[in-house]
Amino acid sequence: MAIGAFVALVGFSRSFEQEWMRLYSSAGTDIVVVEKTFLETSIDESLGTKLQALPIVSQATPMIFNMMDLTPEVNALSFGWKADSYDFEALTFLSGHKFQDGKAEVILGDVLAENLNKKVGDTLEIQGKAFTVTGVYHGGSALEAGAAILPIDQLQEISSLQGKVSGFHVRLQPAPKGQTQEQYVKRAEGIIEAALPGLRAAPASEWASKNQFVALAHAVAWGTSSIALIVGILGIANTMAMSVFERTREIGILRALGWKSWNIMLLIQVEAIVLGVVGGVVGLGVGYAGLKLLATLPQTASIVSADVSPAHLLQALGIAILAGIVAGAIPAWRGAHLSPVEALRHD
Amino acid sequence: MTSPVLEVRNLRKSYDDGRIEALRGVDLSIEAGDFVTISGASGSGKSTLLQLLGGLDTATSGQVLFQNAQLGTAIGLDDYRAHHVGFIFQAFYLLPTLRAIENVQVPMLAVKQEGQNRAQRAEELLCEMGLEHRLNQYPNELSAGERQRVAIARALANHPSVLLADEPTGNLDSVNSARIMEMLIGIQKKRGMTLIVVTHENDIANSAPHHIRIRDGKIEA
Repeated sequence: MAIGAFVALVGFSRSFEQEWMRLYSSAGTDIVVVEKTFLETSIDESLGTKLQALPIVSQATPMIFNMMDLTPEVNALSFGWKADSYDFEALTFLSGHKFQDGKAEVILGDVLAENLNKKVGDTLEIQGKAFTVTGVYHGGSALEAGAAILPIDQLQEISSLQGKVSGFHVRLQPAPKGQTQEQYVKRAEGIIEAALPGLRAAPASEWASKNQFVALAHAVAWGTSSIALIVGILGIANTMAMSVFERTREIGILRALGWKSWNIMLLIQVEAIVLGVVGGVVGLGVGYAGLKLLATLPQTASIVSADVSPAHLLQALGIAILAGIVAGAIPAWRGAHLSPVEALRHD
Repeated sequence: MTSPVLEVRNLRKSYDDGRIEALRGVDLSIEAGDFVTISGASGSGKSTLLQLLGGLDTATSGQVLFQNAQLGTAIGLDDYRAHHVGFIFQAFYLLPTLRAIENVQVPMLAVKQEGQNRAQRAEELLCEMGLEHRLNQYPNELSAGERQRVAIARALANHPSVLLADEPTGNLDSVNSARIMEMLIGIQKKRGMTLIVVTHENDIANSAPHHIRIRDGKIEA
């Protein structure tokens, strides 16, 4: 179960991170400009003009990022974009078209539209205001596929955040010759942060993997998995301790027949590892099934996909082997140091 | 004159912080190729002496020497048990989850004998014990006499020079007892091994050329 929890939870958080990566890479965002401390919708939208005026910036578009309860069962990411945002380039409209600024219109990701059972022309109530669905799109990432995108002014209105944005997505001018993209983005960060004091300019890839939501998801996943792992280790240790106790005479026989202490230790330790691996393989299956389930649930489909990397599975298996080694260590040591005579007398 | 294969000097063994003295200064010399029986009343210390001779336990004081090398210092107890002695117990002590042929191979794992050789040797030994038709039986599918014969085959697995038997006929009827003792004596003669049998049965005790009686932890004169 510990390995299942690890695969499902850490897989969930990594999947979440990957979707953030896709979100930015599919739109071609180079830099994300946000608050220095925590992602919140408190940046003055007018700073966008200052940002756009920088020679190194090709396009700067404001955005709001939020999580909303659309129905009692379905909560979804909500993005506030301007109708002329370049972020639309990453979307493929399956039906309808994008919204217009200033109108109570919304476009839905295909996963969210299916979960809400909404199509173009339907009305969706958000925060007490009726929005007309003008389009259903397929996004470059699960975050978009499960999201609702509204005109930024509408999202500001229903959130009482007029004139405020969560940040800006920035596309840079092409990098000059002789400069790597990395060097160029680094230089751009400095220029933007100098022009907009108090804000942070982060490369999109870095922001995708290190933003507070992803960091929180990782921390929760690892924390919960660690607790499950400790419980799992204690379970294996208990099983092995019982096994050693029940097989005390058997150990005595082996010792009487010339088996060395380390032979006994190895025997018990290998059994513990096998137990860990078998449990781990079962856990991989359970965890993967759990992740698949999360990817289909309306409550979580918008932030997770069921992609599990082979590296993640190998890591889980490695942890299972390690759990077996740790859990078997004390029972193995005890078994190995039993006196042959005492062990043979054991009933 | 043959040299002693096992020699015991002022051997003492006590339990419970010295409150119980199982052996109280035993001196003994056993020649290579001897057949020796050790008898005595229950609690006299005969099994304790056998355990110390077999390196299953360590003495409180005194020395056990195997071919003039002191057990536990000059020769490790694990190595001694693996290479030089074979044990036969009253309760057989076969591993219940292993077949007869697998049980016989268990000591060979301690000396890292190759798999094919192990199986071949185990089969030869079981055939020698007249168990060629019982190779793949589990212990619970064997009679008491057959189990003890498997245990004898197992004791011979690593070509030991000393065979130690603790009440080997204690769980057997008279017919099987006689057969097992006949088998052990035959093995001792054929292989020139040293055979030490602990017994409380006078017939068996008196059947050996050398008979040692223990009383209250000491050898009777």
